[in-house]
Amino acid sequence: MESSNSVTFETLLKRGELIESRSEMTPDYLRELKHTLIVSGDTELISAPAYYLAARKAPSVNAFMTGIAIIQDELAHAHIAYHILEELGESQEALIFKRDPKAFRYPYAFDVPLESWTELVVANAMYDQAGFCLLGDIHDQCSYGPWKRGLVKVMAEENFHLRNGRNWSKRISQAGGAAREELQRAVDWMFPLTVEWFGLPDDLKQHSAQLEYRLKGLTNDQLRQQWLSTVVPFMESIGIRVPAHRDGDAYVLDYPFPCTFDAPAKRWDFKDPCTWDSVMARWRARGPRNAEMVALFQESFSKFQVRA
Amino acid sequence: MTTALQTRVWAALAEINDPEMPVNLVDLGLIYGIEVVGGMVRLRLTFTAMGCPATDMIMGDIRDRLLAEPGVESVAIEIVWDPPWTSARLTPDGRGALLAWGLSV
Repeated sequence: MESSNSVTFETLLKRGELIESRSEMTPDYLRELKHTLIVSGDTELISAPAYYLAARKAPSVNAFMTGIAIIQDELAHAHIAYHILEELGESQEALIFKRDPKAFRYPYAFDVPLESWTELVVANAMYDQAGFCLLGDIHDQCSYGPWKRGLVKVMAEENFHLRNGRNWSKRISQAGGAAREELQRAVDWMFPLTVEWFGLPDDLKQHSAQLEYRLKGLTNDQLRQQWLSTVVPFMESIGIRVPAHRDGDAYVLDYPFPCTFDAPAKRWDFKDPCTWDSVMARWRARGPRNAEMVALFQESFSKFQVRA
Repeated sequence: MTTALQTRVWAALAEINDPEMPVNLVDLGLIYGIEVVGGMVRLRLTFTAMGCPATDMIMGDIRDRLLAEPGVESVAIEIVWDPPWTSARLTPDGRGALLAWGLSV
């Protein structure tokens, strides 16, 4: 019989077994797991102020309540990630309330203000679809048991967000006229932002520790294709144009990827291709709403602290 | 007397899941009554809370599904708050589904 000592960590991973506790992990695995959880927790957390600032423009009380319920879900999802991080030795309080706004690790897309109900529902239809692809992959493949199991409820709730996005997008498109034009404008700037959400193309990304440690199962391009294969047909079905088309088994973008983005104007310049270095520089500098959104949940924290 | 169409309407409603939880509308206890007159279905519906965020989705799902049922020409939904919904309205299957999903009911 094989003694447990002789079974290396790598062998456990290769066998497809689940890692259940910190004591089983190598330092590298722990670091990569924490990094992945921070990106996930930060993304869920920042979606709350991003969506809240737009949900205020809801066209009815019912619509507002749906928006608020989605925000509550996102906060609960963030809590799952931060709670696991705490069990892995990080401080939730430091992560949420003590970090500099620029140190948060969520996708750049959230830094561009969502300013209307239309932009909010397009975010539900496209950003939440991106979250659904990424988290669905982690739920299917992740080698860390507690996180994999914690995602069951998250996936069901993300589905509710997607439905809100799709139902409303369809309804706004059917309304036609100025409402439909506003929807098309929102998709025009938000679609490429979600495409870049999945990160560097596989041919530029030579090594992925996340894949090696089975923290996720699909590559950036595989996840991007999965997203395109749901969003492109949906948008076309409601009469909204998207800059991508199906070619054989894959989806192809109809613009240079990457290219330059003017965040204050919410406008892509498809005639101005750029390098991934300049995209990374834009991401690192963060976008227009970064500080305002982080302040929304940080500013009152110290005010109500009871001093020891 | 329960007509054949009424039976099919109940079965159709049991195919519709709540948008937030893996339980169907009949097992969740949201349907207070159905009346079928000719091709018109009158349905008395409640929600689990007045602040339910999914009212539009649930009503949309009901209309779409029932209008796909042969013989149904129109659907009239009356929202009922009395008696209020409580977890006592869950069927045993509904209770089991929510327990399995991790809700204490």
